[in-house]
Amino acid sequence: MAYALVALGFVLALNAAGAVNFAHGDLVVLGGAVAVLVGTWTGLPGILLLPLVALALGVAGVIAARVALLPLVARPVEATFVATIALAAIIEQSLNLATGGAPSTAPPLIGSGTLEVSGLVLGRQPLAIVVVGSVLVAAVWLLLERTQTGRRMRAVSADRHMARAVGIPVGRYVTLSLALAGALAGIAGLLLGHQFLVVPTQGAGHMLKAYIAVALGGWGSVPGALLGALGIGAFETFVSAGLGDAWASAALYLGVLLLLAVRPQGLFGEPAGRRA
Amino acid sequence: MQALGRFWLVVLLLAPVVALVALPPFGQRMVTLIGIYALMGLGYQLVFGQLGALNLAQGALFGIGAYAAALAGLPVAPLAAAIPAALAAALTLRLQSHYFALATLALASLVNLVALHAESLTGGANGLAGFAAGMSRGPSLLVVVWAILIAGVVLYARLFAGTLGERARLLREAPLVAATLGIDAGRWRLVLFVLGGALAGLAGAFSAALSGVVSPEVTGFPLMVLCLSLVVLGGTRHPMGAVLGATLAVCLPELLRELQGAWLLGYAVATLAVVLWAPEGLAGLCDRWRGAGSPKPPVPGLPASLPRAAGPRRLALQQVSKRFGGVEALQDVSLSLERGEIVGLIGANGSGKTTLLNVINGLDPIDQGAILLDGRHLERLPAHAIARMGIARTFQAAMLAGDSKSANLARALARGGSLLLLDEPAAGLADEERRQLAVLLRQLRTQDYGVLIVDHDIELLSAVCDRLVCLDRGRIIAAGSPAEVRADAHVRASFLGLAEAA
Repeated sequence: MAYALVALGFVLALNAAGAVNFAHGDLVVLGGAVAVLVGTWTGLPGILLLPLVALALGVAGVIAARVALLPLVARPVEATFVATIALAAIIEQSLNLATGGAPSTAPPLIGSGTLEVSGLVLGRQPLAIVVVGSVLVAAVWLLLERTQTGRRMRAVSADRHMARAVGIPVGRYVTLSLALAGALAGIAGLLLGHQFLVVPTQGAGHMLKAYIAVALGGWGSVPGALLGALGIGAFETFVSAGLGDAWASAALYLGVLLLLAVRPQGLFGEPAGRRA
Repeated sequence: MQALGRFWLVVLLLAPVVALVALPPFGQRMVTLIGIYALMGLGYQLVFGQLGALNLAQGALFGIGAYAAALAGLPVAPLAAAIPAALAAALTLRLQSHYFALATLALASLVNLVALHAESLTGGANGLAGFAAGMSRGPSLLVVVWAILIAGVVLYARLFAGTLGERARLLREAPLVAATLGIDAGRWRLVLFVLGGALAGLAGAFSAALSGVVSPEVTGFPLMVLCLSLVVLGGTRHPMGAVLGATLAVCLPELLRELQGAWLLGYAVATLAVVLWAPEGLAGLCDRWRGAGSPKPPVPGLPASLPRAAGPRRLALQQVSKRFGGVEALQDVSLSLERGEIVGLIGANGSGKTTLLNVINGLDPIDQGAILLDGRHLERLPAHAIARMGIARTFQAAMLAGDSKSANLARALARGGSLLLLDEPAAGLADEERRQLAVLLRQLRTQDYGVLIVDHDIELLSAVCDRLVCLDRGRIIAAGSPAEVRADAHVRASFLGLAEAA
């Protein structure tokens, strides 16, 4: 479910910018790191840290949009790729310098340990991840489908020029989407940061999984990205139980390569056709 | 782009000579490392710079080369890296930019996992040491690395200074135009990816020889980021780009030694700055500062005299249908074009005119029907193959920055086909240019070319065309001499916008 949050933010940024944001994985790590820092500093429990981290990373998303995405809209997408890769390296190296590269743990959301619900033993943190994740996904869905702001965000991602022509301030909505993507990344970082460790070099891994989820689910499709992320999570859980973590990831990457070879348009096809 | 100037050649030759004569072993080692990174970067320029394809596997191919050198000796390394590169390229030939990036990233992650976890082969996290790579580490390695690098840079500069560079530019900036000029994008990608991979493998092998150890880091993503940023910093297409970027990447950590790991941060910041403010990179900045500057890409002009047409004689469409989702873009369209005639295609916006040209060219596959060129089926052929058979085409809008209508037309003529498809060549032209266009069209007919022309200028078409065909919502509603078609009631209603008096 935390993958779903990562992928959700990734696809929002992707749609808004029209290009892959390679720094998204590092925003997730940054979220984890902010949670660690503020957590040890203030001693606040995870549930109160959540809005703080979301706010901080929302700001980071705005900065990413201003620095690496908006100035490059008129250039080929590869320029954005490189700019966001550079941004990712900047975040990663800054964290490395700040923490010395040592892994750390974010505070749990609602305490650790297990909880027994009608005979089922559940970990508190996984449960919290599922609950928070579901609430956020529902909230984003409501925003995109049921509000004027969401409609405009979708208009910007569907056709930037047309959106501008009907009077939507495109730059502002791209920034807004990136802020939202950043906030989601931050929350995902906080959630993952307790269950796994926060390590500065993890960013590329998070980004790759989100990238795969989006490619599997249909480029730019929000529900597709969620399904893709859940699919990857399930795949990893089951295959790693049998083969171990490393080979589960290897199987995933191999699967992606083969899938792209057979279906270059992604599992569910790409809605936007190639333009002459 | 131009061939390598004397200035750069001197710089390139001086570096290893000065290193050998004047530098202590430590400095020689640095210069060797610059050469190694520059080789990897040069290979990367082929795919990323020339084709504009974001390849994220170059670092992994470098790592494969390093492991191959450690396990089987240096000569095996380029081959060991070229084989996975060829496989990956063959699998991803058709992929668009973001999927190509993903596929190469998945490949790189796979290589990294194998390096980390296949302990019996790669030594796992500890890596390999104490192997005989077949090269000493001293000055001889420096000489070999720089000799190969200089040869590579000079060759690169020569190759891409001419037509090859112009073709690469078309592929990068206007892939559709490139396809309709007969340039096979898939083959280009395969060849350049394999060549670039082989260079990365060679560089990796040299790095193994230089350090004497190989660890999983050589396959990692940070190395890939370093490769990408050194090429971007130096100049993505400039022959000296990789060398300058590599020089910075090796010297910066030495200069900023007090700042510890901060050099990587500084490097990333510099890369971002270059992307934003100096996309031509440091080498380009140097050129501008020296006043050398890169010349503007040549704009092709129309030939003074037209050669007589040679090539296929007759194009025929038989009951062609094409659907886009729920829209019937073409329904049951049958028409023919012979050499020595001009056929005009008219119809309201959205009536399927451009789609008709696109299906002939192979840019859009048809759903039903047949397209025959002198009796040979074209329906399933890729666009570049159709162009090579002798059908040339122009596009509505200029597809390259700074391009003009006449350049577009000149390129199509230079392709040497006998049948031309022209999409709105008169749009946006002034009266005088229109007259010249009419003269050119008549010359084409005299020289036995066949022309299918789409335009809204009904007067121009009536004046030069032998026949007119009118499309309405994907169907042919009238065909015949210009006078007949213009008099047709359906045509007047649908296209000319003249309601018949009831």
